[in-house]
Amino acid sequence: MTGSPRVIAEPAEQLPHYVAPEPFDPHSVEKMTAEQERYYLASQWRMMWWKLKRHRLAVISGAVLMVLYASILISEFLAPYGLNSRHDDFIFAPPQHIHLFQDGRFVGPFVYGYDYRLDMKTLKRVYTPNPTKVQPLRFFCHGDPYWYWGLVQADVHLVCAADGGTAFLLGTDRLGRDMLSRILYGARISLTIGIVGISISFVIGLTLGGLAGYYGGWIDSLVQRLIEIIRSFPELPLWMALSAILPVNWSPLLVYFGITLILGMIDWTGLGRAVRSKLLALREEDFATAAMLMGASPRRIIVRHLLPSFMSHLIASATLSIPSMILGETALSFLGLGLRPPITSWGVLLNEAQNINVVALYPWLMLPVVPVIITVLAFNFLGDGLRDAADPYR
Amino acid sequence: MRKLLPLLAVVCLVALPAAHAQAVEPKETPALEEAVKAGTLPPVTERLPSDALVIRPVELGTPGGSLHMLMASAKDTRMMVVYGYTRLVVYTPDYKLEPDIAQSVDVEDGRVFTFHLRPGHKWSDGQPFTAEDFRYWFEDMASNKKLYTAGLPEQMLVDGKPPSFEVIDPQTVRYSWAKPNPLFLPTLAGPDPLYIYAPAHYMRQFNAKYADEKALDDLVKQYRVRNWTALHTKLFRPYHTDNPDLPVLDPWVLKTRPPADRFVFERNPYFHRIDPAGHQLPYIDTVELVIADSKIIPAKTGAGESDLQARYLRFDNYTFLKDAEDHNDYTVRLWRTAPGAQLALYPNLNAENPIWRQLNRDVRFRRALSLAIDRHEINEAMYYGLAIEGQNTVLPKSPLYDPAYRAAWAAYDPKQASRLLDEIGLTKRDSSGIRLLPDGRPLEIVIENAGESTEQADALELIRDTWAEVGIHLFSKPSQLDIWRRRVYSGATMMSIDRGIDNGLVAVETPPDEFVPTTQGQVQWPMWGQYIETKSKSGEPIDTPDAQELRRLYKAWLDATDVGERAEIWRKILEINARDVFSIGLVAGVPQPIVVSNKLHNVPEEGIFNWIPGAFFGYYHMDTFWLTPEASSQASTAPSKG
Amino acid sequence: MFHYIMRRVLIMIPTLIVISAVIFTIIKLPPGDYLSSYIDTLRQSHEAVDEQKIAFLRAQFHLDEPAWRQYLYWISGLIRGDLGYSALYDLPVSQVVGDKLLLTFIVSFATIVFTWVVAFPIGVYSATHQYSFSDYGLTFLGFLGLATPNFLLALVLLYFANVKFGISIGGLMDPQYLDKPWTLAKAVSVLKHLWIPVLVIGAAGTAGMIRRLRANLLDELQKQYFVTARAKGLSPFRALIKYPLRMSLNPFIADIGALLPHVISGAAVVSVVLSLPTTGPMLLEALRSQDMYLAGSFLMFMAALTVVGVFLSDLALAWLDPRIRLEGGVTR
Repeated sequence: MTGSPRVIAEPAEQLPHYVAPEPFDPHSVEKMTAEQERYYLASQWRMMWWKLKRHRLAVISGAVLMVLYASILISEFLAPYGLNSRHDDFIFAPPQHIHLFQDGRFVGPFVYGYDYRLDMKTLKRVYTPNPTKVQPLRFFCHGDPYWYWGLVQADVHLVCAADGGTAFLLGTDRLGRDMLSRILYGARISLTIGIVGISISFVIGLTLGGLAGYYGGWIDSLVQRLIEIIRSFPELPLWMALSAILPVNWSPLLVYFGITLILGMIDWTGLGRAVRSKLLALREEDFATAAMLMGASPRRIIVRHLLPSFMSHLIASATLSIPSMILGETALSFLGLGLRPPITSWGVLLNEAQNINVVALYPWLMLPVVPVIITVLAFNFLGDGLRDAADPYR
Repeated sequence: MRKLLPLLAVVCLVALPAAHAQAVEPKETPALEEAVKAGTLPPVTERLPSDALVIRPVELGTPGGSLHMLMASAKDTRMMVVYGYTRLVVYTPDYKLEPDIAQSVDVEDGRVFTFHLRPGHKWSDGQPFTAEDFRYWFEDMASNKKLYTAGLPEQMLVDGKPPSFEVIDPQTVRYSWAKPNPLFLPTLAGPDPLYIYAPAHYMRQFNAKYADEKALDDLVKQYRVRNWTALHTKLFRPYHTDNPDLPVLDPWVLKTRPPADRFVFERNPYFHRIDPAGHQLPYIDTVELVIADSKIIPAKTGAGESDLQARYLRFDNYTFLKDAEDHNDYTVRLWRTAPGAQLALYPNLNAENPIWRQLNRDVRFRRALSLAIDRHEINEAMYYGLAIEGQNTVLPKSPLYDPAYRAAWAAYDPKQASRLLDEIGLTKRDSSGIRLLPDGRPLEIVIENAGESTEQADALELIRDTWAEVGIHLFSKPSQLDIWRRRVYSGATMMSIDRGIDNGLVAVETPPDEFVPTTQGQVQWPMWGQYIETKSKSGEPIDTPDAQELRRLYKAWLDATDVGERAEIWRKILEINARDVFSIGLVAGVPQPIVVSNKLHNVPEEGIFNWIPGAFFGYYHMDTFWLTPEASSQASTAPSKG
Repeated sequence: MFHYIMRRVLIMIPTLIVISAVIFTIIKLPPGDYLSSYIDTLRQSHEAVDEQKIAFLRAQFHLDEPAWRQYLYWISGLIRGDLGYSALYDLPVSQVVGDKLLLTFIVSFATIVFTWVVAFPIGVYSATHQYSFSDYGLTFLGFLGLATPNFLLALVLLYFANVKFGISIGGLMDPQYLDKPWTLAKAVSVLKHLWIPVLVIGAAGTAGMIRRLRANLLDELQKQYFVTARAKGLSPFRALIKYPLRMSLNPFIADIGALLPHVISGAAVVSVVLSLPTTGPMLLEALRSQDMYLAGSFLMFMAALTVVGVFLSDLALAWLDPRIRLEGGVTR
């Protein structure tokens, strides 16, 4: 209650009420505590971040993805062996288990060496771990030489086998190449294809969807028809046909970019539609009208005013599209249309595992599917979390 | 000497059947007994020709049963023609020609061929098989420009001239050329045969010369083709086995109309061979081909879904199949394949790029590349040491074999390779040790392949390391089959990897066309081959002396009239190939797993599984394979799981 | 409403024409044509190349004529209902596609049913018990299905089904029922084989559907009318069924149009691995060998199916949702 104390004389009894003695300070109701200030003045991005933090699964996924992508930078260092190193004596060797204790004593991580025998009847290579051949793993050691990012020659590895020993932690393939190393190197291609592809589809979707949504009319119709045409295409023949276009004499790097371009060009429709419908709705809003009246160019209106209001939503959608890119690359490589050896990607590794011999006899060759699943799951959870966080109505 | 060959040939080809005169009493086929009793089929004595061919099988068998095999596409039904291997003349496992459908063949001077048919031989629908069928093919089909737009098949032309064809009597026909035609009989005996006969009684209704115009028009409409020539061609494709109504002479006849996922072949009641006990061959009543995706066939075989399987099984499936023997009723055998090389590198002598062209044509370069390959490592890593290392040339079992051919420049000698490369002038190297070309670029060889097999990719991986040691950088580029071929033909590739020569078991009478430029398909000299194939219309003429010599020798072989001359020519050809290393062979004789049901007998323990000359199972006489009698009831139910 | 329908139908026609042109271009794009790849396969298997057959085929398929004329031949055939002649199988296209289509529909239909039957209860449960253990667990399981490359899953399941249950490898039925008329035994055999492809193909779709259903339901559950219903005293279950569930079904109906071709071709990869006699592997083979009529006509057929399907589902949506009707056609 404001104003000077006034007593209202009533014929009935007097109602007790409290009146503060100090003069009223207008700022008191406007002042916020520090915490309140942070909350109310927080930018959209910060609010998103807070909401995201509450979604534990998304946070964990985000951390996992950061670790995966960080590992790309130092694949050569992390991998026990070089990318192309072969071991003729250890073809199709099963994974070697890491042991810590020997005879009850803690010795440090080591593996048992393999004894090799060729079973002439079944022509099967039989590897038996030999408990007497103790091969301790070395850390920060000198192993296969490599060119770090093709620039600097080095040979330091995080983990290597003992001198003269072997450390095939995930087994070897049919040329005796270490699977763990191949998976680590394959991450480079598989993880970046998703990012590059999504960037392409982002750009196309934003541009076309933005134009359609903002201008409406015949541009809108055209873009909508285009989207419909692309969507009514079954994806498989589209992939096949577009992959067939890629000239064969391109270097593997160019083929890689070609594949991501293809994936990006087919994938933008979902994003384009979302942008378009959002823009159609938002351009009627007052703030857009105000900007127009003030003489802002269409480009400025779109970029500075309209887009930021649903950028978060877009980012969430984009994150959710990355897994389909990664899976698309594996499927294409499986069909023999995408990447092929000598490039190493998870898709290529899975392609080589795609026969009955592997399933029946050498199942460790299917292990590249694990990082694929982890990555896809992580992106899905992160995307879910981002979307939940970006939604202003929760 | 000149007179000896024809005499020898006549004696060889006539003497054998004379010994097989009708000394056996034919027995009725159990599966056909009912039909014979009902009167729909004549008894076996009337179904067999009067001089049935007696085949002596390893073990006398019991007729009956149903055989299951797996194939990857409907086109594979032609394998039944290949496996059945019924030809006018056939090859035996010791590479001799023997009459089969023909009772005997007289060859005079190597240029006049007289075929004597078996009296009473009938088509699979019971109509007589006579000289009329040959005449119809020769005059009404092959010489009819409308049906055979390209004219007679090449193997029937000598100097571009066709033979003169005569019908001597209903059982005898004669083909005469002015000069010897050594390709004629081997082509007739080939795995995909040259058909010089057609069921006239059946085909006439589709020929405008004989058929009623209205009826023919109706048929054309019914089959939805453009005109009667299209109809005629479509319905007479005995090798493709896509017309169940077409009468044939093969042991099994197609009964299922395509398209289908399962094709059933039933025994030919008029088949002309019998066993010494009098049973009309084949022993097996029906053969079922189930179509499945080629990638899944090893898995299906390992689950016991095939009684006899070799096609689509590769050597690396052996361990899995052997493991699966335990809970299945089959055994896995290892036969040998017989291409001259399982894998061979082909430097493209017609490469467009002048630097590569020059390098590829330098024999020292090719020899160096060959010496820098560790074939032993490839053999050990990929084939457990079971393959034969060496160049792309004849195999030990061939009568023309000489160990020097396989060993030529095939040792692993990096020092000598380095020396040869230095000799050529490729002495400068870059910082990573790779030699530099005269124009400063690194010596990087791009090997293109059809991208179809992991075998090739693996071998290239192994070669990459040994070549790096002598300063050559190998870059492998997988591609698609047709794109690869086109690039090779146009000269865009510098080197490719492919299978070696098809027939590593050549004999004197085998045409040496795989060792000389003959066709565009030879990826070491596609342009020269194209020039020959198109008769100088496109491609490039041969311009190196050694290749010209090869071509000259080939012509000499075609014109030669006696065995000794031919053998000498062969030797020269093989020597030139060994000396010049036109193709760099890696390994050969890779084992082929053959899965044989334990109920199936007469399949050899060891053998050669090759397209030519063996027609895969062909010259092991698939018609003499037989099933244990209980199999006839079990084989047609669900694939048993042990 | 009528105007809306007319407009959509009129727009459909040029769309289909453009699609047909794109399909034609895509198939013709790789250098060469069916015949050259045919010749190459012959050479690869070292068979003799039959010159006169090549010449005959060349004329029959108009391969010696300019591209635009080949396009017109094809289109005129399609309009007449003639799908053309497949060079690869040497049969009319309709015959080749014929019973493969039936099996494809069986598999697709079973997959869709599986997806709905599994996704529905899980989605509802997840939404009503948000953030519980089972919510996380079930969603995780759904995601796992989404994340695993299905061709690998197919192969592994195939092998284990054979070793553990004795089911014959690949295909949709035991080999002896192939091409035979339908009997109870054949139907049982198909069912025994069906669960692997349905599981593999459906796994990915199920996760997506669970997520969508959950999200939509959660949205609805917060709305006023639901709170009112609960406040009125309606049991949670009845309240759920009566109002929010029907609203959240909206996207499913909208999705059907786009779902069909996706299931038909998205199953192609799995069908190749499992060797199913469906249209997927056939399409793959036709595209590889550039069989113009088979690949082109079939793709056209699928594209037309989609366009019509989208149109129909839009129609259904317009009927269901008055807002779309009244606003005159902004679809989503």
